[in-house]
Amino acid sequence: MRFETTDPVAHPELIFYRRCTLNLETGEQRFEEVPCQNLEDVLGGFGRSFQQLAQRTITSAYCEDNPLIINTGLLTGSSAMTGLRTYFSSYSPIKGSLAGKPAAMWSTGSGKFGAKFKWTGLDELILEKRSSAPVYLLIKETPNGPQIELKPADHLLGLGTHAKIMVLQKEYADAHFAAIGQAGENWENNYMGAVALSTENQLKSGEDKLRFAGRGGMGSIMGYKNVLALVAQSDDKNKPLTDAVKKVNINVVKGGGSARLQPIKRGGGGGTWAAYDVMQPFHAVPVNNYRPQGNDLPEKLLRENVEKDYDIESAACYRCGITCHNYISEKNPDGSKGEFIAKFDYEPLNLLSTNIGIHDAGQGGRLIQLCDNYGMDAISLGVTVAYVLSYNERHPEQPLLNGATFGDYAKIRDLIIGAGEGQYPEIGQGSMRLSHQTGDTEYAYHVKGLELPAYQPETNPGYCWAIAGGHMSMGSYGTLIREGKSDIDSWVQAITQDKLHIVGFDLIGLCKFFDITQGIGTQMVVDCLKSDFNLDVDPLKIKDAVRRSFIRGMTMEFRQGYTKEEFCLPAEAGKDPNPHIKLPNLADPTFMAELSTKVWEVFDREIKDLGTGI
Amino acid sequence: MRITVSLHGVLRRERFKEKDCHYPSGSNVQMIINDLKIPEQLLGIILINGTHAGADDKLNDGDSLMLLPLLEGG
Repeated sequence: MRFETTDPVAHPELIFYRRCTLNLETGEQRFEEVPCQNLEDVLGGFGRSFQQLAQRTITSAYCEDNPLIINTGLLTGSSAMTGLRTYFSSYSPIKGSLAGKPAAMWSTGSGKFGAKFKWTGLDELILEKRSSAPVYLLIKETPNGPQIELKPADHLLGLGTHAKIMVLQKEYADAHFAAIGQAGENWENNYMGAVALSTENQLKSGEDKLRFAGRGGMGSIMGYKNVLALVAQSDDKNKPLTDAVKKVNINVVKGGGSARLQPIKRGGGGGTWAAYDVMQPFHAVPVNNYRPQGNDLPEKLLRENVEKDYDIESAACYRCGITCHNYISEKNPDGSKGEFIAKFDYEPLNLLSTNIGIHDAGQGGRLIQLCDNYGMDAISLGVTVAYVLSYNERHPEQPLLNGATFGDYAKIRDLIIGAGEGQYPEIGQGSMRLSHQTGDTEYAYHVKGLELPAYQPETNPGYCWAIAGGHMSMGSYGTLIREGKSDIDSWVQAITQDKLHIVGFDLIGLCKFFDITQGIGTQMVVDCLKSDFNLDVDPLKIKDAVRRSFIRGMTMEFRQGYTKEEFCLPAEAGKDPNPHIKLPNLADPTFMAELSTKVWEVFDREIKDLGTGI
Repeated sequence: MRITVSLHGVLRRERFKEKDCHYPSGSNVQMIINDLKIPEQLLGIILINGTHAGADDKLNDGDSLMLLPLLEGG
């Protein structure tokens, strides 16, 4: 980016980002320096991409006019800790209104691809139309600025995410990669394709230690466009750490909300996996399609039980001190580390194990590994598989697909492989479409067509107002369990004010664990922007930009045909209260009706104010 | 007074799962947290008899105190 001002609020037009628009049908490329229109344009991510998507009239995700926008945030590739995010934005094949129109979505992941992409000199790449043959894109830094080459990719066809990256690494040793798996290639039958992002851990070890932009089927869009991978080739451009950013980074690691995610041996809580420990005492860990049974089955996957049989290694992203995730490997007879299995993070772990009746860590890990290598969103996949299992339990006389039931590892494995290979569109197209086909919609655990994360809907009515996935775009999942809030006013405040700010991280290029409770309208972010770009920004102005972006996203949902009735929790949670969950049931229809009225009183006004100026 | 203290997750390490403990009358939660040397940064949720509570809340004889780590997303 190029800065000709220190004031991005008053003069965004004096800040320029470098964009390439690539027509995949003709190969035509247009590079341009684009002046920003507002602060969210400056910050980047979905704050910018959604303004562009709003300019399009898209009625089908798989159409040539639907672009795939790949961009970064202002702090991607900076010296600020966690500044590694890449954003993929498009109209989604999986998230859509009952009117049949696709919703605008973004998805994001870490890994080092985003930093490498930015270091080529490019801030944004818009892919238009589609290629007639499989290609990968080489995005490279040159003395004359970034250049892009379309390369034949027949040799990558049919390979998984990790395998594609390993092949490309042999040719581009100094690059990082974004790749789809077979699921994205089978976009017609799989709407939940993810984009895998390479990591330093992966490239150095040769093990499938990837990160993912999973939500919303952005990998399926990439597959539709016949782009199998992106290669970002540039020198590393790590800036010297200033005292100001060093202070911020120390605060991120030792203060804020991230300290609890640190490895146990460093006095932390052991990563996101530890959510099991917190939710199990309330019997709120999702089991068998979000129906906790009030027993100790989830405890089989508590870390203290898993570490007896498997090797567990705390891990971090490139140059990040948070160490939020854990790698699980086989344990050799002599106690040493054996074959790598998978990364254990809370969501994939729960949704591909406990919530489908799998209580063995090794089996759960292998299913995560399959999901990752086929390149699917673990949340959408796990929840749709859970729906199939639940349906089969209720209809044993006429089961779906292979008749799999909860806990049947071999048949569940077959479902995942079949979904990844495009043979089971019933799963690949997600739980909303499948439940409409079967007619059993009440226990399909999605909101607005996008499957729920691994927090019970009874504990999180905020799901209804999330704009791009239930926990990544509405941070209310802990409002009841963590804060004990169960009154209407607290929830209105959470949804309409405090918790929507989680999406700020999806503008600026930082991971949510930078400061998950405060968002990006903070002095820490202000200090980073001053240090790295000499920008002077009021944190309240940052919050305003985040809020505008959120309201813009919600406005676009209505434009794509959503009605307020679709902003609802899965019916089962309200109609058939689960007696085992030791928390108030916030999915209660009376509570939800009052909450909805009050939430819309706030949002309606702002949606109206935004009007057509989205 | 007798308090039944149950610990969860990482808080159990080098401590215990559940234990009947004796504290002077009028003790509050913070005194027990201090006694058990639980690092503040790891403590997320406090429940007294199943209800969310704070560190300053006082305990009564026979109460059940549950201490859990913080929920941080996934």
